[in-house]
Amino acid sequence: MKRILIIDDAATVRLYHRNILEGAGYEVDEAVNGIEALEKALLTTFDMYIVDINMPKLDGYGFLREIRSQEIAQAPAIMVSTEAETGDQQLAYGAGANLYLVKPVKPDGLLTYVRLLIGGV
Amino acid sequence: MPIIKQVDSEINDTEKRLNARDFPGLLEQLESNDPSARRWAARDLATHSEAAKALVQRLKREDDKSVGEAILTTLTKLADPVAVACLVECLRSEDVALRNEVIEAMKNLPNEVAPIMGSLLTDTDPDVRIFAVNILESLRHPQVETWLMEVIKNDTHVNVCATALDLLGEVGTLASLDALQNLKLKFSDQPYIIFAADLAIKRISEA
Amino acid sequence: MADISISEQDFLIFREYFYRKTGIHFETNKRYFVDKRLVERIKETGATSFQNYFRMVRFEASGTEFQSLVNIMTVNESYFFREEYQFKCLVNSMLSEITKNKTDKAPIRIWSVPSSSGEEAYSIVIYLLEHWPDIDKWDIEIISSDIDTDILNRARQGIYSPRSVQHLPPELLKKYFKPSGAGYQICDDLRQAVEFTRVNLMDVDDVRAYRGFDVIFCRNLLIYFDDVSRRQAAETFFDALKPNGFVCLGHSESMSRISSLFKVRKFPEGIVYQKPEVNK
Repeated sequence: MKRILIIDDAATVRLYHRNILEGAGYEVDEAVNGIEALEKALLTTFDMYIVDINMPKLDGYGFLREIRSQEIAQAPAIMVSTEAETGDQQLAYGAGANLYLVKPVKPDGLLTYVRLLIGGV
Repeated sequence: MPIIKQVDSEINDTEKRLNARDFPGLLEQLESNDPSARRWAARDLATHSEAAKALVQRLKREDDKSVGEAILTTLTKLADPVAVACLVECLRSEDVALRNEVIEAMKNLPNEVAPIMGSLLTDTDPDVRIFAVNILESLRHPQVETWLMEVIKNDTHVNVCATALDLLGEVGTLASLDALQNLKLKFSDQPYIIFAADLAIKRISEA
Repeated sequence: MADISISEQDFLIFREYFYRKTGIHFETNKRYFVDKRLVERIKETGATSFQNYFRMVRFEASGTEFQSLVNIMTVNESYFFREEYQFKCLVNSMLSEITKNKTDKAPIRIWSVPSSSGEEAYSIVIYLLEHWPDIDKWDIEIISSDIDTDILNRARQGIYSPRSVQHLPPELLKKYFKPSGAGYQICDDLRQAVEFTRVNLMDVDDVRAYRGFDVIFCRNLLIYFDDVSRRQAAETFFDALKPNGFVCLGHSESMSRISSLFKVRKFPEGIVYQKPEVNK
């Protein structure tokens, strides 16, 4: 089964994304910030990351830059942010995101992109 | 077994006073080219209440993360209005990492942040309003629920409301129920808001 | 007083908050354990319901009640070879990386804090002697510190209960300890091997002289600190370490709740934190 790591400091957002993804059959784990996400990603292999930008300790950009510099299997990443400006989008792609979505995401939209990037469960 | 040696006198006081540690001396050290000197200056300035301004000036230019963290810890300990005003200024920075550090620092200053919370929550920049709600996440202050209620009642930006909603699910009481119901009407086309509001309502009613 | 009960929603709210603050996640099968302790604290503080209690925990300016909660939700007991995987990581992974990059023959320095009654520092010595193949090639200094001078004296004496040594293989107990009363005393050579010092991690003047360490063990301490103190302790460790030096936290602790100063490093034995060479 494909495993997705949801990285967001807001518990409700994690639960919302979890419900959508588990509902479609994906396996899900969570992290509250970039450092915890790195710890988890270094210990387990994930097929995808869904990453918030603004988080304490290590933000989404920082997480992606770190993970992209590690010698581990590289999974695609969707960055989700409250910021709709193009500058943020460029920063996200520069840090190693595969896709940039503006919050709040709709369930169908999220699933379509996830399937596009990593296929079905 | 004697491979493991006794320490002779590694731990001693010689390092304590290599440079002048008075206020002008520390300000000078804060501009040193050596990050470790800057970091120590930032830490030692915690006993100088007039240091806030110089620290924030340095923070804005600082490219060494460890010095930046030390400055923020010291500003948190200084906790005076100048320090807080400077922190607010940094909330508007384009530097995401700095902003998030500032948010964390402000969470630890309930008494100093409370008087300006109202104006932060009604700032014209929705990002600043979101950051203000982020500060409420850990702000140890009895007014948190009231502030959050005001946000979901009055704010028209979906992500400002979404951020407040996340927190209301945790700290909300029966007093928030009406505002939560109304929020669902305001954003009836947003599945996330409906989900989060329903979750908050369920938690409050079943608690 | 009426019976206090914890509803499922209460449990979920508490679980999320506790996880966010500490990194400790309670599975649903731990609910009985969690509920029982919550009820205990609710009664102890005189709060009348979970809601009132939780509000106090969240909004109390001092954060004292939250710390009390952390105390009863976690078990802190020191004994020899506790969290042994980290000592394995030290001898199998961290030290080989440290010695590989070392450009001088100066001693490798290890700081164990808090020393408590010395179990961790002595465990490190025993582990090095027993399991580190390069023990003859390098000098090692082990410094162990605590804020409490009484406990430092106990550490220097090195007398332990049978319970505290129960995880030691019998041959090591025989090799490094002698019977003492109802328990055991660590042998003189080992007692001489560790330097015990008094230090208050929160006192900038106290910690200033602690520099040049290769590895710091600080397990199950920071979780009992508030946010600001925790950050300050992380800064102290940062200054005390050489570039590329390591910090080891307890297994239920994570730097993700403390500081972003360190890099996350994965070794086969687990995760440790490393001071980066440059701090951009």
